[in-house]
Amino acid sequence: MRASTSQNTVAPLPSAFDAESSGHSKKVRRLLFIAFGWLLVLLIGAGTDALFSVRRLDRASQEVSQRFTAHNRALGTIVVSVRVYDDQLERFLLQDQLQESAPAPVDITTKIAAVRAALANFPQDRDPEEQFLLAAMLQQLQEQETSCAVVLAWRSDLRQQRAYQFIGQQLIPWRTRIFELTAQVSSFDEHKLALENLAVAERFQSLESRLVWLVSLALIAGILMSLVCGWYILRLERQARQRYQALARSRLDLESLSARLVEAQEEERRSISRELHDEVGQSLGALLVEIGQLSKLISPDDRVTQAQIAQIKSVAETAVKSIRDIALLLRPPMLDDLGLVPALEWQAREISRRSDMEAEVQSQNVSENLGDETKVTVYRLVQEALNNAATHAGAKNAKVTIAQNSDKIAVEITDDGHGFDPERQRGMGILGMEERVRRLGGTLTIASAPGKGATVKAELPLGRIEAP
Amino acid sequence: MRKIRILLADDHKLIRGGLRLLVEQQPDLTVVGEANDGRETVTLAKSLKPDVIVMDIGMPNLNGIEAALQITEASPEISVVMLSMHSDESYVLRALKAGAKGYLLKDSAESDLIKAVHAVADGKSFFSPAVSKVLLDDYVRKLKRSGAEDAYDLLTPREREILQLVAEGKSNKDVANLLNLSVYTVETHRSNIMEKLNLRGIPELILFAVRRGIIS
Repeated sequence: MRASTSQNTVAPLPSAFDAESSGHSKKVRRLLFIAFGWLLVLLIGAGTDALFSVRRLDRASQEVSQRFTAHNRALGTIVVSVRVYDDQLERFLLQDQLQESAPAPVDITTKIAAVRAALANFPQDRDPEEQFLLAAMLQQLQEQETSCAVVLAWRSDLRQQRAYQFIGQQLIPWRTRIFELTAQVSSFDEHKLALENLAVAERFQSLESRLVWLVSLALIAGILMSLVCGWYILRLERQARQRYQALARSRLDLESLSARLVEAQEEERRSISRELHDEVGQSLGALLVEIGQLSKLISPDDRVTQAQIAQIKSVAETAVKSIRDIALLLRPPMLDDLGLVPALEWQAREISRRSDMEAEVQSQNVSENLGDETKVTVYRLVQEALNNAATHAGAKNAKVTIAQNSDKIAVEITDDGHGFDPERQRGMGILGMEERVRRLGGTLTIASAPGKGATVKAELPLGRIEAP
Repeated sequence: MRKIRILLADDHKLIRGGLRLLVEQQPDLTVVGEANDGRETVTLAKSLKPDVIVMDIGMPNLNGIEAALQITEASPEISVVMLSMHSDESYVLRALKAGAKGYLLKDSAESDLIKAVHAVADGKSFFSPAVSKVLLDDYVRKLKRSGAEDAYDLLTPREREILQLVAEGKSNKDVANLLNLSVYTVETHRSNIMEKLNLRGIPELILFAVRRGIIS
């Protein structure tokens, strides 16, 4: 809907307005809700993924280094055990030449068993290549065991004879080969470690780029969504403003309408009152005069006719009276004939005659040249308040004070009735008073409480002509 | 014998016709003119110089009360009888303040008009009996509800006598002559009466007298 500045444009019906916009905003709301949901899922997903990936990577890298360490340690054990065995065997073989205390053959056997144990203890998670190298080592070991058994069985002279030859031709090459094999395994392990570290690094990098991608996606989505939200809020604000303006406009319309209503009502009353008084009332008045004439023309002895005429006269008089009463209620001619204060005094006496309440008027400095609207407003206000006091509040006394100063006229009506709660009980009468007073730019206050009587106060600003 | 010359002022032709009919049946009365509104009445009063004007209160272009005020100020010798539908004090008092000598209810115009015209032409006041009744009823009701005393009871017999004479339109000098008193004494009595009855001015005094049926 579009705001219109033209006065003639009628504001759209609120119901249609609401239905259209509520359907639309429901759709927008649902879209926003879904988008927010996606954004949230994206963020949570990215966070969880990153967390788990990092944890997994950490574990993998730990495993890699643990494995490397285990292999390395096992290799070290092999190398040490080989060295010990080699050293012991050498000392055994050269015991005659060196003249030292030689190890017993049992010890040697133990040492070579230690080598076998070290080989067997190598971690089981072996690669085929490692397996192959270990198998080669095992084979070397078996050959060595065989040779060792022979050598240990040598007698002393044979040992002296062949010791150097055996060490030079068999033991040292064997040891060298074993060391070569362990070096190969070690370098293979190192290579593998490097490869595995690389793989971890690659995985880490891919996680990083995935995170960057997700975060940028979330960022873009967030920006988009805040744009949409901003636009939506602006739109809502605009709608609210328009609605408020429409409301203000319709309220203004309503006010001017009700003002016109009061005006029209007053005008209508005046015209009906005048019609009744001038046309019907005067005709009946003339009729009464004619009836009097007629009665004089007929002999007083003609009792039947005289009685008939008296009857006609009383009917006519009743009609005159009721028409006068109606006309007075509609638009009291006192306002025009006598001015405001005498009219209020008349009204006070009139209500005193009709009800159990005694009303009194006190006036101060009230100009006789009040504008018609002011007069009528004060008059109707007092009429309403006195009527309420007498008929609804059961008051015994009421007092009307009216005072005028340079720019305003103040009226106050107090009664000693049983009162009411002005916040709750606002009948048409009070609404009418408020409307009349507001029309003239005045203020109306009603103070009352159950059991405390009531005070109606009004202040009306005066036009320049009306000032005293 | 000189006929009493009457000007009829009412914005309704029917009423004027009826009144004229009543007046012309009397040998000593004559209608010298009819006016349709307040302004015309003032103009005709100047040119015709009638003895009595019988005038409706509610008229267009200057109402009866305003017209009466202008006429009695310009020509005090003209007696004005107000014709009204209202027996309320506000109207009677305004009419008296405007200088009217008589106050006639339209209901009873037919029976009281001739009496009223004769009375005012004679320099006396005339009020429809119904007016006195309404005024008295209002007064008595108010006294009863407020529990106040009737101020009339406070007056001495002499003061009541003077009240009546003043209300009938007699001057202080006339009263002094009639009662064999000095003018000074009459004045003192008069101000005492005004004070006891809480009245301001002759119109209110006349109203009070009418209310009590002292004059009619």
